[in-house]
Amino acid sequence: MASSSVDETLKTARHGGTTPGADEAIEPKALPGLRHRLRPMAGLAVVLMLVPLIGGEFRAYQIGLYLLYGLAAQGITLAWGRAGLLPLGQALFFGAAAYGSGLVLKAAEARPLWWLAWPLVVLGPAAAAYGMARLLFARRSESGPYFSLITLALVMLGFQLANQWSSVTGGFNGLGNVPELPGLDRYGSMYWLIAALVLLATAACVALRHSPLGLLWAAVAQNEGRLQFFGYATDRLKALAFAASALLAALGGALYAPHQGLVTPQAISVLLSAEMIVWTAVGGRHSPYGALLGAVGIGCLSAELRDRFALWEAMVAIVFVLVVLKAPGGLWGAIERGAAALLARWRVVRRSLPALADALQAPRLKPHGGRPDKRGPDQEGLDQGAGADHALQFREIAVRAHGVNILNGLNLDVRGRGIHCVIGPNGAGKTSAFNALTGRLPISAGDVLLFGLPIRRFHPVALARLGVGRKFQVPTVFHELTVAENIAVATWALRCTPVELLRPALLRWRAPMLTLLEQAFPFLASEGTSLAGRLSQGQRQMLELAMAAIPEPRLLLLDEPCAGLSPDETRRQIRVVMQTVEALGATAVVIEHDLSAVEQMAGQVHVLHQGRLLASGSLADVQASAQVQAVYAGGRK
Amino acid sequence: MPEALSLTLLNLAYQAAVLSLIVLGLGIVFGMLGIMNMAHGEFVMLGAYAMVAAQRIGAPLWSGIVLAILVTATLGWAVDMALIRRLAGRPMDTFLATWGLSALLRSAVQLLFGKGYQNVEAPNAGMSMLLGTGYPTYRWQLMLAIVIGQAALAAWYLRSPAGARLQAMVRNPDLAEALGLNTRAMASGAFVAGCVAAGLAGAALAPLVRVEPSMGLDYLLISFFALVVGGLGSLVGLFAGTGLIAGTQSLVAAFADQTAGYLALLLVSIAFLWLRPDGIVKR
Repeated sequence: MASSSVDETLKTARHGGTTPGADEAIEPKALPGLRHRLRPMAGLAVVLMLVPLIGGEFRAYQIGLYLLYGLAAQGITLAWGRAGLLPLGQALFFGAAAYGSGLVLKAAEARPLWWLAWPLVVLGPAAAAYGMARLLFARRSESGPYFSLITLALVMLGFQLANQWSSVTGGFNGLGNVPELPGLDRYGSMYWLIAALVLLATAACVALRHSPLGLLWAAVAQNEGRLQFFGYATDRLKALAFAASALLAALGGALYAPHQGLVTPQAISVLLSAEMIVWTAVGGRHSPYGALLGAVGIGCLSAELRDRFALWEAMVAIVFVLVVLKAPGGLWGAIERGAAALLARWRVVRRSLPALADALQAPRLKPHGGRPDKRGPDQEGLDQGAGADHALQFREIAVRAHGVNILNGLNLDVRGRGIHCVIGPNGAGKTSAFNALTGRLPISAGDVLLFGLPIRRFHPVALARLGVGRKFQVPTVFHELTVAENIAVATWALRCTPVELLRPALLRWRAPMLTLLEQAFPFLASEGTSLAGRLSQGQRQMLELAMAAIPEPRLLLLDEPCAGLSPDETRRQIRVVMQTVEALGATAVVIEHDLSAVEQMAGQVHVLHQGRLLASGSLADVQASAQVQAVYAGGRK
Repeated sequence: MPEALSLTLLNLAYQAAVLSLIVLGLGIVFGMLGIMNMAHGEFVMLGAYAMVAAQRIGAPLWSGIVLAILVTATLGWAVDMALIRRLAGRPMDTFLATWGLSALLRSAVQLLFGKGYQNVEAPNAGMSMLLGTGYPTYRWQLMLAIVIGQAALAAWYLRSPAGARLQAMVRNPDLAEALGLNTRAMASGAFVAGCVAAGLAGAALAPLVRVEPSMGLDYLLISFFALVVGGLGSLVGLFAGTGLIAGTQSLVAAFADQTAGYLALLLVSIAFLWLRPDGIVKR
């Protein structure tokens, strides 16, 4: 498909292609989204301004401390509320920055040159968090208890160090006599600096949550494994979320030292970390406002009531457990639901992706996929040489698991472009062959060649970057994201670097393939704002096929694309597979049980049996083979 | 054998034995059932406070052990009913809810017994001669009891029909259920057993450690790391992980100090997560 024709189809899609109903549904949403974001921010600014006017300077000083804790809690909303990583040791970064800031400020009193080190106090913890997360996530694709407990253990270590290393930290008594920031009275004007930074951090959190990166964090939290098949290095995405969280905590800590004038081990304790989680959970883990609400609300109440009321801490623990069980959105979630009910009465609809009319064309990938500028040695010269004709070759591949031979010296040669069907009885090794290729099953012997070159790293991310797309047997779309957001995740795949993921313009990208796909599956456009989890099984099959096609793979692995579809839908699905392969000039390997579907797709057929190749050829050739008839008697559905 | 060396060896064996007792409970709950109970350390703490309570009212030692079993079993059963079963299939929420529970248990004990340290008098407070050095009698008796108890438990798990049913549930719960095993009841029973194991460990340790409301976290972390290093769901892994963690910590602590021992333990665990994420014994 040449790009000019893509432009034309895009234009028709913009002006004439969509139904009027779809336009109405999409039109009013772009601007209210922004207004929706600005309104609470203006409210926060007003509240922050009123605090010293109503409560007086001392009250403002007290609340300033909890606003600093609130910054750390806002970090937790990014890592936990968005990316699903629970940092149980958030005070590690808060406390490390507090000690660092205290030491630098004291040193700068004598030698002003030390001021140059102050930014490092904030950036250092974030960099350390990034490095640590990369280390922990390098081999483990999950965000469960391992990560959280390591962060908890690290904060315990930090606490011990702060207590013991008293020549630097002042030990149990703490690091005292930290000077004020120049020109800022800690009981007066410093409040305004804190308020300004809180506003800035809130705006940054809101922007991040709604950026493409924020959307990908949500996708990581829902189904990290699937995201890897689009070529996203999820360990980096998670490390970025953790680093952002640590950065906010460090910012709070760096100001804590001059604000309090004293840094004790309490600032780097398990206790403070635990309180930060409670504040975030009860206030609302999905919103930076919830974090502030929790930190200032519960934090101030605790400070007042802890000593007066013996049952206070037990009550806070019970409220926390109840929030986990019954109200994961916390207080702010409840407030938002109330506000949404009011807005619905005023007929204002929210949406996260802008209207179709604003669509920007996503850059077209170079022919045969792969990131244009980042071609590795593996990919160079792919189109030359003898190997280019062979899309995929399995050479004597053996896979063993739990004492069972799953693949038994499989030889498979997928030559040329177009559709190849893989058939075979259950347990023949069809899906296992896909799993071996994409690193889900370890290969014990043999080689796999992709476009004539041996594959060195069997990992979903590596394969996706070499231009391999996969659709699973059971569709695995991101249930908590809308249809449009699911498509956006597929659109950005391989097209942008992590830095580009901060550009909101990406939200308006439209993949060249989308026009073709929307014509076949109109619900992709008309149901754009509904959650993918609400789609029918058949629509999920179609959405997943679309998401596999949008990154423009050279080799498309389709595992039973028609499972669970009606005869009509099956025909349409097959048509889309054929059109996609044609438009991309790609090779598709399709696992299919329905021989009438195989017949319709034409092309080469490969029969697998007991982990080996039994026969290859046209469907008629294969059906005529005595061997195939023996293991596969009959065959038509 | 020089006295210092035999003392070091005895201390190492003691550390490993005690740790294995604590790890056992978490090994059942997290390793076998896959439930990350963040309040596990608090069950150890409750076991220790049962001994404190028995000592306060002047009751004999065995009554403290009985009390520890009663308290942890009842509480384990209640937690299973109120939280674990309800949150089945939501591991992150289980993690958070049990973590809230740990804070609740700490503040409850603090209300009953106060914030400060408690001391529990050891029975058999004398010294014995062992490998040519003096060693506290209670310590080596405890070690011996742990080794015998663990061996009996391992034999039961590996040889008895009930153990076979448990193994079936651990390896493939769906299939075990299809074969007619009541996996829900078995899982509940195993959860309670894990909590009681923690309580017993706390009761046994009470005379030897500082008993305070916040003592649980250390035990939770160290048993978790032993499981990470050893690998989940197998007995060999549990003992291998326990040995490696206890060895690392006590050796480094002997040459440097406690903080260095803790740091070494953490580094070993992180190295394992990075280089061998399934632990020494891969299930």
